[in-house]
Order: sequence, then structure tokens, then C-alpha cells
Amino acid sequence: MRKPADLLGLTGLSMQAHMEVNGNREAVVEGCGGVLEYDETVVRVRTPGHVVRFTGRGLTIRCLTADALVVTGYITGIEFMG
Amino acid sequence: MISLRLTRWLIGYVRFSVLGGSPERFYSFCARSGAYLWDIAAGRSGGACVAARRYRLLRAPARRAGCRLRVRERRGLPFLLRRTGRHPGLWAGAAVFALIVSVLSRQVWCIRVTGNASVPVSGVEQALASAGLSQGAWKSAVEPQKTAQQVMLKFPQIRWMSINLKGSAAEVVIQEKTAKPPIENRKNLCNIKASATGQIVSMKVYAGTPMVQKGDAVVEGQLLVSAVVVDKLGGNTLTHASAEVVAETTRSLSVKIDRKRQKTVPTGKTVYRRNLDLFGARLPVSFQGKPRGNYRVSREKFGLSLFGTPLPAGLYQERWDEVRTVDYTLAKDQARALAKRELAGQEKKLLNGGRVTGEKITENWAGGTLVYSAKLTCQENIAKESEIFLK
Repeated sequence: MRKPADLLGLTGLSMQAHMEVNGNREAVVEGCGGVLEYDETVVRVRTPGHVVRFTGRGLTIRCLTADALVVTGYITGIEFMG
Repeated sequence: MISLRLTRWLIGYVRFSVLGGSPERFYSFCARSGAYLWDIAAGRSGGACVAARRYRLLRAPARRAGCRLRVRERRGLPFLLRRTGRHPGLWAGAAVFALIVSVLSRQVWCIRVTGNASVPVSGVEQALASAGLSQGAWKSAVEPQKTAQQVMLKFPQIRWMSINLKGSAAEVVIQEKTAKPPIENRKNLCNIKASATGQIVSMKVYAGTPMVQKGDAVVEGQLLVSAVVVDKLGGNTLTHASAEVVAETTRSLSVKIDRKRQKTVPTGKTVYRRNLDLFGARLPVSFQGKPRGNYRVSREKFGLSLFGTPLPAGLYQERWDEVRTVDYTLAKDQARALAKRELAGQEKKLLNGGRVTGEKITENWAGGTLVYSAKLTCQENIAKESEIFLK
């Protein structure tokens, strides 16, 4: 028996952010709520449940829309902060 | 990625710097306001790109984040059109260019002939030109099927021909006929007579009645095989006599070589005349006229092609070499070698498949002339058809 939250996730109606990481070079965050910190070594992004922190070298926000963001560069760490 | 870049270029975009305040807040406000940013650079000299028509919408987020924006670059088609709009000459040039391209693309500029073996390309091109297909002809005026038929009438050795117009190029594909072998006419009546005097070495009679046999001596014109055939009942029938009669014959050949000769040698003075072939027009590149005097001329054409397709441009060059006539004398060995070569050519023509079994050479040097004579003993087919005419 699946939980209601899982069912929402399956239908794409989840309140959680959806994140795709391609190797350590690119991360796509869907459902982000804004950029909190941005420089070449740290990118901190607000998402509905957490604050996600990307660390690395030469980080760049490739594109930014109302609910999505693409971070590229040499990503060395991803942290989920409450 | 290319389509994305092309779309951005077509709609036009602005690259700007974000100065002071909180760039992160500015980017977040922009995102919430619906402005799509890309290539966002971090740091104090950071900035981003935005579609040109959205740039004005960024003022409010910048004010809220305490930032100032400064445009660094304007790129894309709208800005290009705005810049060039002040120069009517550019628009006129573009219009003229489009017109020229449009007009030139309605004409045939390249004619490529393929598949021909015995039919010369220049001949085909001349025939095509007289049928209306030449460099510079209007494509609408060319009727491929009719043109192909007209050319085929001029060249009976062409079995099949196709003219394909591809863009401004005409590809002429030719397939030639396979030549029919000659058919021997055996309906007429004929005797076999001797074409030369000699002694018969071998005889092969295919039709007719042999009148001589192996070992017999025959003279030129003597009847060898008769067309009259007598059957077992004593009846006579006439036939087309056929035979191969090999006889040993004697032939005398003589070659006269004059040792004093003349030849033309270049003086070293060379004149080049060059023309530029462009869209069927020949434009002189060098202003050198035709030189006067004793010159030998050679012509070359250097055509340009792109991916195997000839272009309507090339260089035509004439090379004029001044020559003078010089007298010289052949050495004895050279004269002898030349005489031998000429004699061998005469032998080949005279014997027509026969062979030389012996030869006796005599040389006579009289003044500046060599008379080189050969008495040949040969074995050759002396059978010659002699037609009989009946009323």
C-alpha cells in the first residue's frame, strides 16, 4: 500500500523539488523558489522542502526561470539543509 | 543547442552586468517576474543575458534588490536591422544581390557530358549549343527531350541520351551503341585469283573448285579457285569461292631518306595571353596582343569546380612560343634507324598478316641521301576475290 505522498510524487503533483544530476557537471533543479547565494564555489537554492547547497569549482547558473534552474561546473558536493 | 542559440539571435538579446546590491535576490525576483535569464555569471562583475524585449521588465527587480544594471552587449537580428537601417546602400546592395542570384539561377551555367567514349565532348557541346543548350541559356527555354533527340540525330552512334537539369547545371548522360561486326557478303559469285606471284605453300579451300595445288608456282592474276563446282551427276553450279592460299612471295621495298633536314626550335621568347571566363563572357586579363612573327601557339583552359560540379568560371591561357627554323644533318646511324622504321611500316601495310621469312638489305649513300632497299621473302595469303558479273 503506497503512501499518499508517494502517489502525489508519481502523478507529478508533489510539493518536493525534482532534481536531475548529470555526472558531476550539471544539475537541473525543478521547483526551486529562488537563489539564496551564488558565486563560483557555492550555489544555494531554496526549494519547497529544503535549501539545497551545491559546492564545487567554476559553478555557473546556466539558465534560470520562475521554477527551474540549471547549475553547471565541477560539482563536488550537494547538501540538503533543513 | 544550435537551434536555441539561433532562436535567441533571431529574437535579439541583451547581455548586462549587475552592479551593487544583492545579485542573488535580483536573480530570484527576475525568475518570479517571469524573465528568463541565461548565462548567469557570478561575482561582483557578474551579469546575465535576457531577451531584448524583456530587459525593461528587469528594472523593478533591480530596484527591489538594490542593484544597478548596465548593458554590456546588444546582439541579434533586431539590433542588426536597426544598425543597417541607417545605411540604405546596404539594403540596395542586398536587393541587387538577391536579384542577381535570382536571375543567374534561372540560367544554365554548367554542362557536364558523361558516358561518351567515341563521341567527342566538344562535338556534343557544339550540337547542344545549336539545339539551344549552351552556357547562359535560360532553363525555361531548354526542352531536354527535344534537345536530346536533335543531338542524337547528329550522332548516329549514340543509342540513348538524357539531359537532366539540376539547379544551374545540365548533366548530359550518353550511352553509345555497340558497333555491329562487318557481315561478309556471300551472295555474289566470285573466283579466287592470285594477288601476287609466288609458290604455293598451303591451301585451304572453303568453297569452289581448286585449280592449283600445293607446290605450284603461280603468277599474279592467275585463277586459284574457280567458282564453278561440278557435282557427281555432271551438273555445274556457281558459288562464292572462298579460300586461304598461302604462298611464298618476293617483295622489294625501298625507302629514301634525305639526311639534310629542317626543324623548328624555340628561341626562348614566350608570350602569355590570359582571359578570365566568367559566366560565358571572356574578359582579357593580360593586355598583350597577338605577337607577330613565327610563333607556335598552345591553348589551355583551367576550369574551376566545386564538389565535382564545374563552375562557370575559369582561366583560358594561350602560350605563344617564338620558334626559328634550323638546318641539321642526320648522322648515318640515325638515318639508318629512321629508314628501318619506315620500312617496317611499309612491310606491315603490304603483307597484311603475312610474315617475312628472309630479307636482303642494301644501302646506297649518294650525296646526302640514303636509299635503303630490302628484298623480302614472305609467306602471305595471296587469295583475292574476283567477282563474276552475270547477265
